[in-house]
Amino acid sequence: MIKIAVYGKGGIGKSTTVSNISAALAQQGMKVMQIGCDPKADSTITLHNGIMIPTVLDLIRKKSNGFFLEDMITVGYSGILCVEAGGPTPGLGCAGRGIIAALEKLKEKGAYKIYNPDVVLYDILGDVVCGGFSMPMRSGYADKVFIVTSGENMAIHAAANIAMAIENFRGRGYAQLGGLILNRRNVKNEEKKVQELADDINSGIIGILDRSEIVQQAEELNKTVVEAFPDSDMAMQYKILALNLLKSCGKELD
Amino acid sequence: MLKIVNGKQDEAGAGILIKDAKFPSPFVSGLEYSPPARGAWNIVHTGMLIPKSHQIFICTQGCLRGVVLTAAEMNAANRFSTIAVRENNVLDGDMESLIIDGVTDILSKLKAKPRAILIFTSCIHHFMGCDLKLVYRTLRERFPDIDFTDCYMNPIMRKSGMTPDQKMRQQLYSLLKPVSVHKKCINIIGNNLPTEESSELVRMIIENGFELKDITGCKTYEQYLSMAESAANISYNPVARISGDTLQTRLSQKHLYLPLSYDYAEIESNLNQLAAYLHIKTPDFTEEKAKAEKALKSAKEIIGDTPIAIDYTATMRPMGLARLLIEHGFNVAAVYADTINEEERQDFIWLKENSPIMKLYSTVHVKMRFLSQNSHKKLLAIGQKAAYFTGTSYFVNIVEGGGMYGFDGIYRLMQLMEEAFLREKDTKSLIQVKGLGCCSL
Repeated sequence: MIKIAVYGKGGIGKSTTVSNISAALAQQGMKVMQIGCDPKADSTITLHNGIMIPTVLDLIRKKSNGFFLEDMITVGYSGILCVEAGGPTPGLGCAGRGIIAALEKLKEKGAYKIYNPDVVLYDILGDVVCGGFSMPMRSGYADKVFIVTSGENMAIHAAANIAMAIENFRGRGYAQLGGLILNRRNVKNEEKKVQELADDINSGIIGILDRSEIVQQAEELNKTVVEAFPDSDMAMQYKILALNLLKSCGKELD
Repeated sequence: MLKIVNGKQDEAGAGILIKDAKFPSPFVSGLEYSPPARGAWNIVHTGMLIPKSHQIFICTQGCLRGVVLTAAEMNAANRFSTIAVRENNVLDGDMESLIIDGVTDILSKLKAKPRAILIFTSCIHHFMGCDLKLVYRTLRERFPDIDFTDCYMNPIMRKSGMTPDQKMRQQLYSLLKPVSVHKKCINIIGNNLPTEESSELVRMIIENGFELKDITGCKTYEQYLSMAESAANISYNPVARISGDTLQTRLSQKHLYLPLSYDYAEIESNLNQLAAYLHIKTPDFTEEKAKAEKALKSAKEIIGDTPIAIDYTATMRPMGLARLLIEHGFNVAAVYADTINEEERQDFIWLKENSPIMKLYSTVHVKMRFLSQNSHKKLLAIGQKAAYFTGTSYFVNIVEGGGMYGFDGIYRLMQLMEEAFLREKDTKSLIQVKGLGCCSL
């Protein structure tokens, strides 16, 4: 089982990227589980036609422990197992604690053992702001972390923070940094700036995604690019990125 | 301190006729009261059953008070340490290193190295998602000659998932390691007190050539570890059922769950299960039953129609005991229990139908603070909480069934009831000592 966590600044395009990677891998015949760790609970929305799904925290709130594993999982496009951790009441509660509770509940209910996916993708909100958001990096969760960034300063700053958190956890047996994913915003010297960041954190850019209107068009259709526009250049970029991700994790597909 | 503001005692919500009670939770959960009847064991007492072990509690200073006092009162302060969590630990996110460095520091200062360390983490570690796997892995690497296990002082677990009591009894056996099994060895697990040697349960094991092991009798750490050699575990306290199931999975020790009971058929069925496991002829318990019956009659003659109150700390089956006594003509006026175990469902239904005006009281409902009575009428209590709430000085001073089991258990309990009825006790001084039967001073 390959377990990957994708981090990055809020709004950088993590969920779009992760959902397209999931779709691309599922098209290759892999059993994929995507776990959204964002209180907005919209990580997987384009994998199930824009319909909001019950979140793990909603289930815990409403039913305590009186629910089943299947209640937490929605089967989306191409058999992708979609999970949304959910979040606290806005303005109250603790989002980090929410992620901890959701991930612990998934494990407790046997999500990984029973479904036994080939790939698990964690899509994690923003910067590593507290212990809860670093939970997916821990032993037993993701093995590799990939950071989505653009050339914008704030995105680079967030990416550097995430890389620092991974570095701080060196020796703990946590996930290792797999590389950066450049999601272009077409800012000046974008690739150079991101390459400098990669050099600073002893990593590399494992994939580059162009800024393309087709991404928004697919989202308006509540689908991934891979599903809505399978023959587009963007779909190809996501497919190549998905293969690169697997390769970074030591798995090569034909 | 809570005070009655309207001058009236009102037991609505805290006391109910059993005919109106709902299974399994007859009372609404809310602000709770803790009566000063301290004989029931807590996690510190139970953890101390592992010989040569040392306990380290890690939590905020305010929450340490109770456990520190327990350790001091049981004269075990030299087997007990604490690490205080402060605000800066939360802000800096160094909860893991606080535990690792703290335990290392404690170990460097202890005169003799303990064989095992029980680390009690608390709510704050749970809330913050502290990486306890990392903590234990690091400590085990750093101190390979010491066994570490994870224990919990986590009140938020009280009503979700396993209770702290269940978890503690499970972790009590977590240090047992797989070894080759000795078929003629059996453990009784999950009790804080040893089972009476005169009980049919113990006699059947011993008289058929089996060695009986129980943590309550372990004096050395090796004796404790040797419990892993036993081919089977017997549990009879409902809170220890998970412990037995866990050991069955982890060490392949057969688990026989033979719940404590006051029902003749259930007792016999339990003992027959044991007989089948031991590969012995199904015993004839006619004599033992007759002895129990005779003891019940004798106790009834002495106690007469004096009201009796039973609480859940005295026995894991307060409903079952009430039923037994009522079936034998006793006047059971009240049972003090906050919830009813699945094991008690049938007895509860029987009591609703056959003794509908028997009172059922909560022990933690906030109104119980004011319902403490000093009745002028003689009343026999079974258990410390029942004694406290009724204000009687005639009570059977036992916890957790007092190690009594089976027909012999009924016989012994009747003797204790007779004795308690005839001889006054100093209730106040007796019930304020924590952990009845442990090594408290």
